[in-house]
Amino acid sequence: MAGSAFVYVTYIRTTPEKLWQALTTPEFQRKFWFGMHQDSDFRKGSPWRLVFEDGRVADDGEVLEADPPNRLVLKWRNRLRPELTEEGDARCEMALETVGDATRLTITHSIPRDNSQLIEAVSGGWPKILASLKSLLETGEALDSIHSRVKA
Amino acid sequence: MSTQFVYVTYIRATPEKVFDALTKPEFTTRYWAGTTQRSDWTKGATLGVHAPDGRLWDSGAVLEIDPPRKLVMRWLNEGLAELKAEGPTIVTYELEQQGSVTKLTLTQTSPVADSKVIGMMSQGWPAVLAGLKSLLETGEPIAEFAEWPDGM
Repeated sequence: MAGSAFVYVTYIRTTPEKLWQALTTPEFQRKFWFGMHQDSDFRKGSPWRLVFEDGRVADDGEVLEADPPNRLVLKWRNRLRPELTEEGDARCEMALETVGDATRLTITHSIPRDNSQLIEAVSGGWPKILASLKSLLETGEALDSIHSRVKA
Repeated sequence: MSTQFVYVTYIRATPEKVFDALTKPEFTTRYWAGTTQRSDWTKGATLGVHAPDGRLWDSGAVLEIDPPRKLVMRWLNEGLAELKAEGPTIVTYELEQQGSVTKLTLTQTSPVADSKVIGMMSQGWPAVLAGLKSLLETGEPIAEFAEWPDGM
């Protein structure tokens, strides 16, 4: 099969509206996304960037689809490591669905090339980001020790 | 060719607490579809996963145990004939303390190519482990997954 993909599912005791807000608002993102935030208005066709605290751009791209609070699709290109930039554009899809009093969040990050180093890299990052997001929304506190380990 | 599912999450709790929550009925009955795991939890001991009405749903054995770091089990579905026909899988929990957080890595492997068991469990594990994380961090599971499904 051609291409590489990482799929991750989690369930968060919150509404799709609150989860969408956390995923797309810088003051939330900084708490669970290793101190990084995203720069976008999250409308179809708009530019999108993932930015470090010091202003460096980690990844950038474009909003391919936005259907709040159900579905967000980003074109995603790494700008930090030349070997990942060289792999070209990846696609990151976030799907939100109500399940009882929780929301199922499915992340599908894919690229049309085999054995992608980008997909390998994000496979390590997403579980940390989403575990921290779940803690933030359910307890009010993100997972600080994960945050500091990645920055170190 | 075998089939494998790997899932990583991070839980704000000690490895001891996470290990207990994965194996002890007072925890599993609260977040894991009301199920109880019966085992002596020693190497070579048998394992039974029981539905709330007492039916044996999965059987197996403890292949390796090193609390609170590692648990390897043989695991065979007994509840659904087409899953039982595939034969046993291997389920591994690995726990690693990272500051105030425990990294939990779940791996389930079947020797069968395109395994239906792995296909089904890759849907089930994210729900089970999201409920475990919520229970340990907030005192409450994810309600949708806390009880045995109707008709199963």
